[in-house]
Amino acid sequence: MNVTTKAAPSTRKTTSTDTRAGKYLSFHLASEEYAIQVIKVREIVKLQHITTVPETPPELKGVINLRGKVIPVIDLRLRFALPTKEYDQLTCIVVVELSRSGCGPMGLIVDNVNEVMMLQESDIQDTPNFGIGVETPYLLGMAKMEDGVKILLDIDEVLATADLSALTALAS
Amino acid sequence: MATQPNPGIADELARRLDELALELTLPTNAADPDRWAASLTALARYAESSGCGDLAAAADSAADALRNAPEWVAAEEARLELAQAIEKLRAELPSSSCEPESNAFNLADDPELIRDFVAECREHLLAIEQHALVLDGDAGNLEAIHSLFRSFHTIKGLAGFLGFEAIQGLSHEVETLLDLARNSKLSLSRHAIDIVLECKDYISRWITVLEAPAESRLAYPAPDERLIARVQAIATNPGSVAAQAPAVEATQSNAEATPDSGRQLVAARFVKVDTEKLDYLVDMVGEMVIAQSMVRHDPDLKVEGNGRLERNLAQLARMTDEVQRTAMAMRMVPVSGLFQKMVRLVRDLSRKFGKQIRVETEGDDVELDRNIVEELADPMMHMIRNAADHGIETPAERAASGKDPTAVVFLRAHHSAGYIEIEVSDDGRGVNRQKVLARARERGLVAPNAQLSDAECDNLIFQPGFSTAEKVSEVSGRGVGMDVVRKQIQKLRGSVELTSVTGKGATFSLRVPLTLAIIDGLVVETGSERYILPLTSVKELFRPTAGQVSTVEGKAEVASVRDRLLPVMRLYERFGIQPRTTDPTTAVFVTAESDGNTFCIMVDELIGKQEVVIKTLGNAFRNVSGVAGGAILGDGRVGLILDLPTLFAGRHQCRAR
Repeated sequence: MNVTTKAAPSTRKTTSTDTRAGKYLSFHLASEEYAIQVIKVREIVKLQHITTVPETPPELKGVINLRGKVIPVIDLRLRFALPTKEYDQLTCIVVVELSRSGCGPMGLIVDNVNEVMMLQESDIQDTPNFGIGVETPYLLGMAKMEDGVKILLDIDEVLATADLSALTALAS
Repeated sequence: MATQPNPGIADELARRLDELALELTLPTNAADPDRWAASLTALARYAESSGCGDLAAAADSAADALRNAPEWVAAEEARLELAQAIEKLRAELPSSSCEPESNAFNLADDPELIRDFVAECREHLLAIEQHALVLDGDAGNLEAIHSLFRSFHTIKGLAGFLGFEAIQGLSHEVETLLDLARNSKLSLSRHAIDIVLECKDYISRWITVLEAPAESRLAYPAPDERLIARVQAIATNPGSVAAQAPAVEATQSNAEATPDSGRQLVAARFVKVDTEKLDYLVDMVGEMVIAQSMVRHDPDLKVEGNGRLERNLAQLARMTDEVQRTAMAMRMVPVSGLFQKMVRLVRDLSRKFGKQIRVETEGDDVELDRNIVEELADPMMHMIRNAADHGIETPAERAASGKDPTAVVFLRAHHSAGYIEIEVSDDGRGVNRQKVLARARERGLVAPNAQLSDAECDNLIFQPGFSTAEKVSEVSGRGVGMDVVRKQIQKLRGSVELTSVTGKGATFSLRVPLTLAIIDGLVVETGSERYILPLTSVKELFRPTAGQVSTVEGKAEVASVRDRLLPVMRLYERFGIQPRTTDPTTAVFVTAESDGNTFCIMVDELIGKQEVVIKTLGNAFRNVSGVAGGAILGDGRVGLILDLPTLFAGRHQCRAR
């Protein structure tokens, strides 16, 4: 498992919209490869016991103990309405720190983490227009790499936007 | 706001209002509501003739209010009324007399600077109050005057730096006043101390506004010219006030000579620590305790027979325990700050009601969790208001019944088996049981012929819908009854009781846990999940026999426990999880009580009793009913702490699923 260094809190002040170039952490969900800004990532932990909380939407899997702190965990597959898959050895939890105030760290369950890569502004293309009515504010753009296209997520938006059906359409 | 073309008229109106405001600086015994009303009427006529209809109408109605107020509890009330009227009239003043809005603050946009400013001011404001109250009992205390001066001076400097002119201006005036006092050119009368405290309150209002994050900040309080004028009046003309003050002082100075006057004014040696860091430390220590216990119980480590390892591990356990206790203790603060607030409140109330009250405190250094201390302030204020309004007699009444005309409110804190007990007692007339009983019957809270013990009768006042105040006064009956006080205390997992001796006084006894962070929990298991019940709510545990559980109308289940039929809630049904058993005779029933409801919770298995540290589940799970929070269990997993009131309230909706 590759472990990512966490960014010092003080450097986290820049907002995601400033510039898209920078370091990204890529991971797999179903057949797609996604990436989020490394600056948002606090750490990666292996899957552990998740305590379910009743009366919550299915993608909210529950809470885990992150070294004494209780943090919520979201299954990104369920968030994007992708087909579910049994958790296995590679499944892991990416702990992100959201920039919205009052929101502590949050865990994202992904199939597996891939790599940390440096992206230049020239590597990144704007999200294509998927047509009227398909709003994708949670997509920062697309990065075309040698090994395929990576979808860059604005993780704050992903967790804030209620309806992500548009992305499902995109993935299919 | 009306627009007026003629600035001369506006200025004249403003001048008259200022004059009227100056009246407010006179000592209480010189208050003359009738004369104020006359001045207001004159003002109204002038405004009318110059075309300010709105202002004239407002002034007239204020004058009427002053004249027609039938029974002033004290002249102080009239002053308050006039102050409010003046405030309102100022708002009505034609705009031409108003200063243009001062420029936007530049440095004030920096949240970090503001945070430091707020923190520092809070400290100084606290010190100001403390020292002002010391001066109240001991007017010549130079050390206190020096401290006051320093505090205001610092606030002035900081405010000036950040461009808060209103604070800076006011602090400057108070500083001037205190400078005279510290050079013995002026002796601070009670009235002057009143004003110093008012200035402190004004700055407090600013701080409260500034505390909010910039985007949700309310409007800054308007500069208070009236207050400044009053401070100046005392500073420039101490004679007029001082000459009239002694009459008041003779009766009241000893009335409020608190034992605080003897309190040393030492600044303790503290390090300021961000509470977030402290919470983090407590979290990490909790983890350390768990890790330590996991190592100790690791099957691969054969502790038995290995004396050295056993000793070392025991040593480690002791140390982690000690570290945990120390970390917890760091969040504790003494109750003296809370008591201080009450001293100030009693001081204000005694003047308001025209009663003589002094405060005595005991156990100021007893420590409590910071959060609890904050949550206790409101209920305690309510109790003290009640005591001052209903319990304590007027000086004349007290003298007639052979008591010291000066009443005592006694605040006492002490430890008691994992809890802190705080007593708020007065030596007033005690609870009027006949009145309480009559009211309770009238409200249908007790049966007409019920026989109640004295204690039961006294505690009727905590019933919802009960309020004995015959007329709802501004102070003790603002629509909040003692039932709210009890609820608040219960929210802290505490209790409150009232005991009273007719003619001798009444005592509120509060019992609150040392900390909100830890509870004694009963850990149970259902399916693969573990839940924690607050041990204080658990009455009984049992495994039902066949036939002990029966169904009502094929839906709800009840269990017969000691001749009582109690509703049964199957936890797995309530939370929609997969249990290991659905047969009551192989499950465990926990009888729990909350808010007067007793019910049985069916779980798979009992794990044990554990002290747990309560953690919030965060924003994502804010509205989950039945769950109060989470806790890290001995095996490092998260267990959910059950919230019994909402768990019980939501029992029907889940059956429908």
